[in-house]
Amino acid sequence: MLLLLAWRNLWRRPQRTLLSLLSITLVVALLVCMLSFQRGVYQAMKENTLGVFDGYAQFQPPGYRDDPTIDRSIEHPAAIVRDALAIQGVGAAGARVNGFGILASGARSYGALIAGVEPRSESQLSSIAATVREGRYLNDTDSDAAVLGELLARNLRVAVGDTVSVLGAARDGSVAADVLTVVGIFRSGIPQLDRSILEMPLARAQDAFDMSDRANTIALGGRTLAGVDAALPRLSALGARHGIALLDWQALEPAMRDAIALKYAMSLLLYLTLVAVVAFIILNALLMSVLERTQEFGVLLAVGMRARAIGLMVWLELLTLALSGCALGFLIGAGATLWLERRGISFGSLSQLLAQYGLPPRLHPALDLVSALTGPVAILVAIVLGGMVPYARVARLTALAAMRSA
Amino acid sequence: MTPIIQCRGVERTYTQGAVAVPALRGVDLTIGRGDFATLAGPSGSGKTTLLSVIGGLDRPSAGEILIEGRSIGGLDAAQLAELRLHKIGFVFQSYSLIPVLTALENVEFILRLLGVPRAERLARAREALHQVGLAGLEDRRPARLSGGQQQRVAVARALAPRPALVLADEPTANLDSANAGELIALMQDLNAASGITFLIATHDARVIAHSRRHIEMTDGRITLDESSSPAAA
Repeated sequence: MLLLLAWRNLWRRPQRTLLSLLSITLVVALLVCMLSFQRGVYQAMKENTLGVFDGYAQFQPPGYRDDPTIDRSIEHPAAIVRDALAIQGVGAAGARVNGFGILASGARSYGALIAGVEPRSESQLSSIAATVREGRYLNDTDSDAAVLGELLARNLRVAVGDTVSVLGAARDGSVAADVLTVVGIFRSGIPQLDRSILEMPLARAQDAFDMSDRANTIALGGRTLAGVDAALPRLSALGARHGIALLDWQALEPAMRDAIALKYAMSLLLYLTLVAVVAFIILNALLMSVLERTQEFGVLLAVGMRARAIGLMVWLELLTLALSGCALGFLIGAGATLWLERRGISFGSLSQLLAQYGLPPRLHPALDLVSALTGPVAILVAIVLGGMVPYARVARLTALAAMRSA
Repeated sequence: MTPIIQCRGVERTYTQGAVAVPALRGVDLTIGRGDFATLAGPSGSGKTTLLSVIGGLDRPSAGEILIEGRSIGGLDAAQLAELRLHKIGFVFQSYSLIPVLTALENVEFILRLLGVPRAERLARAREALHQVGLAGLEDRRPARLSGGQQQRVAVARALAPRPALVLADEPTANLDSANAGELIALMQDLNAASGITFLIATHDARVIAHSRRHIEMTDGRITLDESSSPAAA
């Protein structure tokens, strides 16, 4: 009966109820869309940035992140790679040797990261293979081959087919030296990488840097970052068994993590403002309605209804309104987001700017549980908690005072 | 006649700022079970205040009120609400129906508060509406009923819980002559048929003419209390 009363009371003034419903619906739909878009953008940013070279997670020797010297290494990496690939969510794993040295061609020389990689797994872990603009990427039969970034090649003035001398410090402190033939030149789109990386076959790098059956890192990838994130506990246990550290994307890209956290914090202020504004609008409408009906409440009290039951009826009116608005807003917001998720949003001439942030030219919102439910739940909680104000007001009423209020 | 209402030295004083305004000044009154009494007097004489303190809507500043021999002075708000729900029916001048409920639902509502099962609730609500002559209008909301019909629904609502006492405050004030006459006859019939006690605060000479007992109030005091044979409605 209370629910029936609450529902009918809502429609005493249809215009006011419809306006209240519309404001809740709009804000909820907006929150679902905005949060989905934000999460989609950050997801794309993370996957694109990590997919260039880092991978979605990495095994590293203890202390390597702070002091990445070649003598900090992982023994028998192949066994760890095999075990990692057996974990659900992990789709690719590859050992790397990371040597720092001088690259020279003719009279020109430049410092660079010399990465020894396994070509087959690396093409799944890193987008470098897909961004080769001249020549080709490394393959499993290569021995003295190398690919390097476009800016590095330009600085060294080398082209496909030319040779590059490598000079660095080996694991045992001796000089690591090699001569490699350039088979491909890549353009990752990230100038910092394009001017500082040379990739060569892992086995050759292990020989050159006296690594034997060792690697400096094992990069991990998969179909999605979320899939690898879900596998982190089991990967962490695997790492612990081998005495090596597991770094997730946040540890690999702390600057990106901090930037995303900052943007979330700033967005949160906007979202909270929206939630507060709609909650105040609805509460104001309900308080008006309570004031208009005070005399009627007095009669209900006089005939024996408890003040708390009347308060509950008012609270149910609010809850019904909030639930209806949230459900409608959710349907509209989720529907619009799903449509945009499939279609994507193109930013036209801004695509180059987006690329600087590791973003693709067409962005897709990501509707998930968090983006779909945070807005509706926040609005619902704010309105329902705010509803305690009219509830308390009604619960304090006395029959006589209420009947005399007209 | 067993007393249903006993007022002993009841006083009620309101304060308006620093000024004390006495509304009841030592009222002593006993109403017997099955009585049909009217309470008359000029505006401000204390009629509505006396009904309010008897019905537990207000508390006296001094004195004691007993309903069916039980003092209500020590009851808290929830206990007073229970007392009103089970023992006392109210009829107000302004009908005071819930506008979003139909006539049947308005009557049924109070039975729901009493925890009456659904089937019995509906049967009793229909019976009450039938008693007040509103059979066939059960599904109408108050806005689609005349003033007289709304007041009959209010009477049905007051009667549905089968109270021992009905307190009515100016029940005919908003009704035309024909409707007022019908309402008086209805209340008289109910009083005669079910023995429900009626205490009616009114200015209406027609109501007073039909009462068995007439009480006059002036300045918060009872100045006349006489019993008579009621005129036929």
